[in-house]
Amino acid sequence: MLDLLPHIINGLTLGLLFALIALGFTLIVGVMEVINLAHGSLFALGAYLALSTIGADWFADTGFGTWWLGLSLEIRYALALVAGPILAGLAGMALEVCLRPTYGKAPLYGLLLTFGAALVIEELIRLGWGTGEQSMPVPQMINGAFWMAGLIFSKYKVFAAGFAILVILAIWLFLEKTPYGAIIKAGSHDSEMIRALGHDLGRLRLLVFGLGAAMAGLAGVIMAPIWGLRPHVGIDVVIPAFLIIVVGGVGSFWGAVIAALLVGLSVGISGAYAPAWSMMSMYLLLIAVVGFRARGLLGRKTALEA
Amino acid sequence: MITLSDIPARAGSPGTPAMVLFLALIATAPFWLEAIGLYDYLGIEIAIWILFALGFNLLFGYTGLHSFGHGAYLGTGAYAFGLFQHHVALSLWGGLAVAVLAGALAGALVGACISHRRGIYYALMTIGFGQVFWFSAIKLHGLTGGEDGLLGIPRPDLVLGPWRVDLDDNTAFFWFVALLLGLAVVGLWRLVTAPFGRVLQAIRQNETRARFIGYDVWRTKWIAFTLSAAFAGLAGGLFAMAQESAYPDVMSLHQSGLIVMMVLVGGGLVSFWGPVLGVVLYFIARDVLGGLTETWLLWYGLMFVVMVMLRPEGLAGMLHTLRPRRPNAPIASLSAAPRQEPG
Amino acid sequence: MSKANITRRRLLATATGTAAMTGGLVTWSGPWKHNRVWAADRPIKIGITSDASGQYANSGASDRRGMMMAIAEANARGGVLGRRIETVHIDTETTPATGSRVAERMISREECGFLVGAVSSGVANAISQVAQKYGVIYLNTNSSSPTESGENCHRVKFVWDGNGANFAQAAIKNAVESIGGRFMLLTNDYVWGHDTARATRGLLDTYGGEVLDEILVPQGTRDFSAALIKIQQAGPDVVAAAVGGDDQKALRQQVAQLGLGAKPAWINNQQDWPDIYGLPIDNLFGVFGTTWYYKLDLPGVADFVQRYQAMYPDTRMRVPGNVFYNGYMATSTLLDAIERAGTTNNIAVIRALEGHVMPAAQRMQHHDAVIDPDTHQVQQTVYLATANQAPSEEDDVFKILAQSAPEDVRDQNASKGCKLESYEDTPTFDA
Repeated sequence: MLDLLPHIINGLTLGLLFALIALGFTLIVGVMEVINLAHGSLFALGAYLALSTIGADWFADTGFGTWWLGLSLEIRYALALVAGPILAGLAGMALEVCLRPTYGKAPLYGLLLTFGAALVIEELIRLGWGTGEQSMPVPQMINGAFWMAGLIFSKYKVFAAGFAILVILAIWLFLEKTPYGAIIKAGSHDSEMIRALGHDLGRLRLLVFGLGAAMAGLAGVIMAPIWGLRPHVGIDVVIPAFLIIVVGGVGSFWGAVIAALLVGLSVGISGAYAPAWSMMSMYLLLIAVVGFRARGLLGRKTALEA
Repeated sequence: MITLSDIPARAGSPGTPAMVLFLALIATAPFWLEAIGLYDYLGIEIAIWILFALGFNLLFGYTGLHSFGHGAYLGTGAYAFGLFQHHVALSLWGGLAVAVLAGALAGALVGACISHRRGIYYALMTIGFGQVFWFSAIKLHGLTGGEDGLLGIPRPDLVLGPWRVDLDDNTAFFWFVALLLGLAVVGLWRLVTAPFGRVLQAIRQNETRARFIGYDVWRTKWIAFTLSAAFAGLAGGLFAMAQESAYPDVMSLHQSGLIVMMVLVGGGLVSFWGPVLGVVLYFIARDVLGGLTETWLLWYGLMFVVMVMLRPEGLAGMLHTLRPRRPNAPIASLSAAPRQEPG
Repeated sequence: MSKANITRRRLLATATGTAAMTGGLVTWSGPWKHNRVWAADRPIKIGITSDASGQYANSGASDRRGMMMAIAEANARGGVLGRRIETVHIDTETTPATGSRVAERMISREECGFLVGAVSSGVANAISQVAQKYGVIYLNTNSSSPTESGENCHRVKFVWDGNGANFAQAAIKNAVESIGGRFMLLTNDYVWGHDTARATRGLLDTYGGEVLDEILVPQGTRDFSAALIKIQQAGPDVVAAAVGGDDQKALRQQVAQLGLGAKPAWINNQQDWPDIYGLPIDNLFGVFGTTWYYKLDLPGVADFVQRYQAMYPDTRMRVPGNVFYNGYMATSTLLDAIERAGTTNNIAVIRALEGHVMPAAQRMQHHDAVIDPDTHQVQQTVYLATANQAPSEEDDVFKILAQSAPEDVRDQNASKGCKLESYEDTPTFDA
């Protein structure tokens, strides 16, 4: 049992990171009823933009670039952690504008459009940053390892997991405690009613999609030092994200978080006993949960089913 | 927006001009493919994917069930064909029959698990099962050869009574595929214009209403899924012959998404022939653009995005709206959108 | 002149259509009997089948630069047999199914006489199956799966990279003697991983090491923490990792994060230059194999690097690596073989390549290399390297630890698994 403890801790860490990845996805599905297959590409885009922010790729030759590169890595990293997601959020907003003609039609069109967008974004990344592997620099204070109870832990993973908890709480507070959150939640129940109540549905969608895309970008920045960075890294994201929202129940915030922790635990613990099957455990979890609970753990009926 | 039901089908008779044109084209392809800068092998792949796409559209366009994991059944058929040749007997018909059966069986099993679902949940479940098939194909390398694929699958001779035809040559194999494709197209056409096809469309238009009218919706959805998986299995068996190997990639989400793209771009939602146009466009675009630029997927993706935004009824829809000469067709289709029943 | 009018395609159709039934009809009648059929003005066409997208896009680009440099140099010398060399490139997308189609297109539509290029063994396999069907010579430049020159070998296919077994041979003995014999294996759960792990186990038996545990990680693994915890709990002397592609990139990141790169000692099979170029030095952990390094202290190397820089001044990768080297060497050796055969007849060229000894000076390696006539794999010098803590310049990230002569690292299992098709079963034509 003692041997298993690190695997459980590891699984929970992994679960928190998965939750970070899935949150933006579930937000967009819940409110807009769009399965955003470009989530992974936005994830990659956010990470690449953060990388360029740290390295001053586009403005290194200017006076500002020189001053910027003179700053310490900690400051540049912290700012990139903000800039990457914001830029990815802007890209997401542009995508939302493209999505507008598909509203009112079958959810299929949104799914297809984002599939096309995923191809386009990935190819653009290839053009802009090249096809090779890149490495995201990480400040010294969160790099390296530390020992506790005879076990080794990665400082960065602890940081990432803590950061994920903060982001999850912040999003939850935003949805629960702010008027915007109330509108978003109401929008996910009944968008027509929101419009009838005089709220600008178009702006709400733009905001939600931008926020969801920014979350994807943020997850990208956080995951890049763990997974590495290459143009098709987004592929690794869409499947767990999608799996988590199905297991958790489409549109359910805590459902997604719980599902993410479950997926993390199942991957972590199966990694201890049958590592060769650890990837498969995700899919088995999906089939097991959905076999018993048609709408996932905390799911409810949505317009997506009709 | 127009849909499949808006295009009147001549009941039962396969003798439409489009059908005659299509059969004539596939029967003569080897004579003119080279002249237009293509080659036999590309013709084989196109024919196989048309077969796959038409079967897929039975589910996608006609029944309105959006499967995003259909590559799994193509792959299943391909592995079944290869394993049959390797472990049971060297037989063309036996291999193809097993490929069809394997595709159908996999489809029947998955269909039984998902046919009570609707809408996006249905699509999500097909992705989930598609991933399980894909992952299993990679994982069970003792059986499938894993990532490296199942190699050295022979093309057995075609034996018809005293006739024996060697299919190693691509031209001969193309004609064989074209023959099967022709039969399948006529069969599918009969199927969708028969009462069964009407039930499929009723389910697409309103599943609840179809159930209240008295149709067994679950069973019909299950049959549609199984049938389309059987066609995918046949296409897979032929694909294994064409490549003389079977690989797991065709089962990936990416490839399963591509078939959806092809069918939609071609106009599978509005026309029986949509998938044909879509497959031809995709393969020729890939072959021609792919030889010119490495970023062809960027251009194809952009074209696709624009198409979903502006003309989701695809190529076939454009052709259809062109024929009655309606100059305001784009506006008409956009303004028609809100009229669609919700969901 | 009438002879010259026989198109390549018709020849192929005859050859393939009838080869099975009338094998005797199309028998090869000696390379020198019907050479010089083609007028000198017709170019030799080489199909370049390197990946430009997908997992190996980056290595594919490097591979292709190598081939293009060899071809450009040959053309600058006036071509081969007085004929210009032309190339056509189509992206194989790191996807076997695409590899098949591209090979079919290159042979039947582009009328390529030779195909060159591969990084992924799946793609290499797919291409070589098609190539064998038409008898077109195919060079697998950079895929290092032992099966390529083992059970999946073909008469028309030549394999230029060192394979997993070669690198294991070079590394294991060294590690057992200098570090310790308690090994743990971290193996990617597919053919290449298993083959490499089997080779490692065999060598450990020979040199007196033991395997504490083998951790299988499925392809597509992005989180290695469970495996790293197990390794850390077991505390082996050495971890022998056979993890490839994107999985390895993620592993590298996570080992670097944990600072586990130094202890236990890691043996990685091979680090391809394009995969690690531009990454921080702590990403390069453990000991790994390579077939070539741009700082090898041998005559010709500096000149080679200069030629690379002159031809590709704008490339992000400022010095050539092993993938480029393999692409270049394979192509230039092929062109040389055509020249030596005095014909482009495929069987004649195959015979010119089989058993051909390439002098060390020409290979820019420490030992002569030879193309094994039984497996078609190039038996070459294998180097062991590690991260260079005292680099002389920014790109100088490898420190070469040792070199092994080809005969010391030979893959013993390959010749058992490989059965080449006979010459008679291979369709013949003049490219």
